[in-house]
Amino acid sequence: MAALTLETLDIINPDLYVQRGYPHEEWALLRKEAPVFRYQRPGVEPFWAITKHADVVAVSRQPELFRSTQMLFVSQEEPGAPLPDEAILRQLLNMNPPEHGEFRRVVNQRFTPRSVQQLKNQIERITTEVLDDLVGREECDFVTEVSAKLPLAVIAEMFGIPRADWAMMFRLSNAMIGPADPEYGGNESIKENLERARLEFFQYFNQLCEDRRKTPRDDVASALANGSVNGEALPPFELLSYFALLIIAGNETTRNATTGGLHALISHPDQWERLKRDPSLATTATEEIVRWTSPVIQFTRIATADTALHGQQLHEGDVLALFYPSAARDEDTFEQPSTFDIGRYPNPHISFGIGEHFCLGANLARLELQVMFRQLAQRMESVELAGPTQRMRSSFVGGIKHMPIRYRMRAQP
Amino acid sequence: MRVVVDHNLCEGNGRCVEVAPQVFELRDDDRSYVLTQSPPQDLRTKVQLAATLCPRQAIRLIED
Repeated sequence: MAALTLETLDIINPDLYVQRGYPHEEWALLRKEAPVFRYQRPGVEPFWAITKHADVVAVSRQPELFRSTQMLFVSQEEPGAPLPDEAILRQLLNMNPPEHGEFRRVVNQRFTPRSVQQLKNQIERITTEVLDDLVGREECDFVTEVSAKLPLAVIAEMFGIPRADWAMMFRLSNAMIGPADPEYGGNESIKENLERARLEFFQYFNQLCEDRRKTPRDDVASALANGSVNGEALPPFELLSYFALLIIAGNETTRNATTGGLHALISHPDQWERLKRDPSLATTATEEIVRWTSPVIQFTRIATADTALHGQQLHEGDVLALFYPSAARDEDTFEQPSTFDIGRYPNPHISFGIGEHFCLGANLARLELQVMFRQLAQRMESVELAGPTQRMRSSFVGGIKHMPIRYRMRAQP
Repeated sequence: MRVVVDHNLCEGNGRCVEVAPQVFELRDDDRSYVLTQSPPQDLRTKVQLAATLCPRQAIRLIED
């Protein structure tokens, strides 16, 4: 491969993510030579690539100066997300203060550490069931048979969605997060793929809302359906978008952290042995896995005024892309950032974001990952890759669609 | 220095309580409360760390 240069490196082509995974060498070069880099390529609206931990924090801390927009991420080809006047969803990720906080408060009490802790027994049970299904065999697709199942079951149970509909939630989440991927999105254009999935989602959630208005239960669906913002019910489009956001976000990122976590452990056998010897390391291992995998590749912001950032002059209207996996390997923040160390502490990663848009489901994701990796360490005697992993075609979320493994699993937890 | 927690932002992640339990307390409404608005000088570093670590960036330090 030719030597990397700032002029030619590529960090937003979705095909790159399929073929090579995360472009860590490119990000390392950017952090070193151009931490706030004006990315200009044919066919791409110019944007600033932000790759240092401190700069991602600085931008995230100023949600008024750097606002979220409908365009959630930048991509090489046709825009990955529709333009502002043709928004597919209107939800927390593209809202701003004070509206963002008002909408967030409709459900945020259900995601605090204390609320999430109440789900612990349920998460333990689901995880045990998922792993029980692997007993008596030697090979499986870890993504579809393990890492997809736990987050899907947990978020679906939180919403009170019946089991018969879980497969549909899985399919539609995939279609909305991976509209540019042929397996997930479909065969039409990105926009048509998205539009079709959204329509199906909205029809389903509309039914669910009507049901929960008639007979409210103690679930997230009821909290949304009967929720209010500034004393008024949520408008229909925002309400249905909220459902879609939580189902998609609840599914995709934890799945990818789980898959990427096991992949990292397989690639670092010393760390896998360490976890098996001491499963209580699952807590710090979870933080390291989230840092290492950083399942969200980027979110964009738009500058609302002229301002300086890390020595560069930014102008009102400029687009910034915050690259979380790059911040997670920043040499100025982490000692030996390219070492996968399941005991790493402190681990000030910002792979859940920070500030106004800090991941609403972070505590839930953490608990799911902690339980999963503790149980895996206790039950899985050996594991190796049994074929090539297949990555999703996206420069937004680092998805792994399939990861065949060969393993030995104990029958009892 | 005065310490303020913005309750519009705080979501009870509790990192501040881990770092500086002398200054912050998590209450039943899942929000962090400041126990001593003007913490003594020797707690300053811990309070600053709490503000840095807060996932929601809800802690403000106001210099007198």
